[in-house]
Amino acid sequence: MTAHEIEEYLSPMRHEFADPRSLILPALKFAQGDSGWLPAEDMAAVAEATGFSQAYVESVATFYDRLYVEPVGRRVINVCVTLSCMLRGSDEIFDHLADYLGLDGEGTTEDGMFTLAKVQCIGACDRAPCLQIDSGEQIGPLEPADATCLVDDLREQPAPARYER
Amino acid sequence: MPQMNSVYRHREFGASLTTLADYERAGGYLGLKDALALTPDDALYAFHRSGLRGRGGAGFPMGRKASFLPKDTGRPTYIVCNADESEPGTFKDREIIERNPFQLIEGLTIAAHAVGCERAYIYIRGEYEAQAKVLDAALAEARDAGRLGPDALGEGRPFDITLYRGAGAYICGEETALLESLEGKRGQPRLKPPFPAVAGLYGCPTLINNVETLAALPPIMHRGPDWYGSMGPEKSPGTKIFSVSGHVLRPGNYEVVLGETTLRELIFTMAGGVRPGRHVKAVWPGGSSVPVIGEGSLDVPLDYESLNGVGTFLGSGGCIVMDDSECIVRACHRLAQFYRHESCGKCTPCREGTGWLARILGRMVAGEGRGAEDIRMLESLFGRISGRTLCALADGAVMPVKSALELFPEEFAHVAEHGSPAPAPMMGEPVG
Repeated sequence: MTAHEIEEYLSPMRHEFADPRSLILPALKFAQGDSGWLPAEDMAAVAEATGFSQAYVESVATFYDRLYVEPVGRRVINVCVTLSCMLRGSDEIFDHLADYLGLDGEGTTEDGMFTLAKVQCIGACDRAPCLQIDSGEQIGPLEPADATCLVDDLREQPAPARYER
Repeated sequence: MPQMNSVYRHREFGASLTTLADYERAGGYLGLKDALALTPDDALYAFHRSGLRGRGGAGFPMGRKASFLPKDTGRPTYIVCNADESEPGTFKDREIIERNPFQLIEGLTIAAHAVGCERAYIYIRGEYEAQAKVLDAALAEARDAGRLGPDALGEGRPFDITLYRGAGAYICGEETALLESLEGKRGQPRLKPPFPAVAGLYGCPTLINNVETLAALPPIMHRGPDWYGSMGPEKSPGTKIFSVSGHVLRPGNYEVVLGETTLRELIFTMAGGVRPGRHVKAVWPGGSSVPVIGEGSLDVPLDYESLNGVGTFLGSGGCIVMDDSECIVRACHRLAQFYRHESCGKCTPCREGTGWLARILGRMVAGEGRGAEDIRMLESLFGRISGRTLCALADGAVMPVKSALELFPEEFAHVAEHGSPAPAPMMGEPVG
């Protein structure tokens, strides 16, 4: 992702903000769409495109859970573990998925296909226990077997053209 | 099934209204027409007169909040819609956005007329990308139809809305943290005053309201503020959507006229109640940040004052129900982990205190508690965290635990000595 590409993306929305600083978050999300996370070169490109320092851009990026400053898998499986989901078995879903993926808790599979993460309430407690692949539709209510079927389906799919985390 | 008395048209008609044509067929944009027939001051007075209170959690009167905006400052006035819905147990704004995005857009347009605003922002949480796409499409359609743009508020009176996506941070639902995030900074709350009404987005006068609040404006303008104000008690008029989740057979959103439904009716009649043979043990009626109440309080009417009367808050309306199969300390530990994760780290009492809460409750649950010493330590923590921070997150972390300890002292004492029993979550239950 080059600074030029980011500038082109930001150009139509610049007039919507009185301060160009507001462009940093959209720029980071756009840049992350390319490789699924934010390597230092992408932070530098965002800095150049928005006119702020790379250090500042990184300070913003590190605040937000869904901006990844370390590599993650092709797909991130976000299992909600907050209270409403816990009451309906989210921990069992998580443990089952971790087992199935050969992970010891949260982490990324060796083949780089999946990152399994425990996340806080994703606003779908009516579908508890639920999960979200990247920032896709909230899926639930799940049985452990549903969760592993989902993983099997995802494994068959090609990498997304752009990542929406 | 169509629902009587609903303020939200998709509920009134029992159908999703995701195209402008469908929304207009269902009476959409009649409210804006009526609002534009009034002077901005009269429209503002209508908000006030309706008695509508902020539906995001704080319950502050919407009309009064809007009246705090200074006029003729020579600077733009902004409106920011808080769609960062992140309070655990709350998913009502998600439904409005998914099924009725134009009512929110119309509500924002009405508010823009009243306060003199040319650009509003909808700040939507990053986890609601699917919902953001619905809004993207609705905004584009409204723009194409001239409902947004250069003449949105009448000839030569422009208004438009920018959708801004968050990136995963509970704290950005706090209004000043939201503004920081929207300004391209880390989402950390500001010292108040000044309040956003005076110095909000980019230091300009800013009205911030929740999705459910703004979406209530079209019917208020069309059917009249007195119609809205006539529903429910004088101080808590109107309807409220409660999101019911946890150990109930029919989790979902239920809209009630405030003051006319009890918590018991919400849980049992509407949400299907708990499993046969189980009974309600604990309820967080307004999201996870409110004090928990027990079975003895179930007959409380659902309105702001009545819920305060039993020691809790209406909050966001995220009603989390727990039955007697679950350990209260384990539930509190899970919430403490949430607040520890979401504390922005700006204020020491919150940054450190939420960590202590989670650690102490964690060791209790794991059977490594220190008995009465841990209970005393918990009790001493509450006052060291509460009321000592810039925003309400810390209070939200303390209230559910403190209230639970008061309600279930024996269970806390037992768990502090012996640990928490093995969990037995509700799974594979039919969802009605």
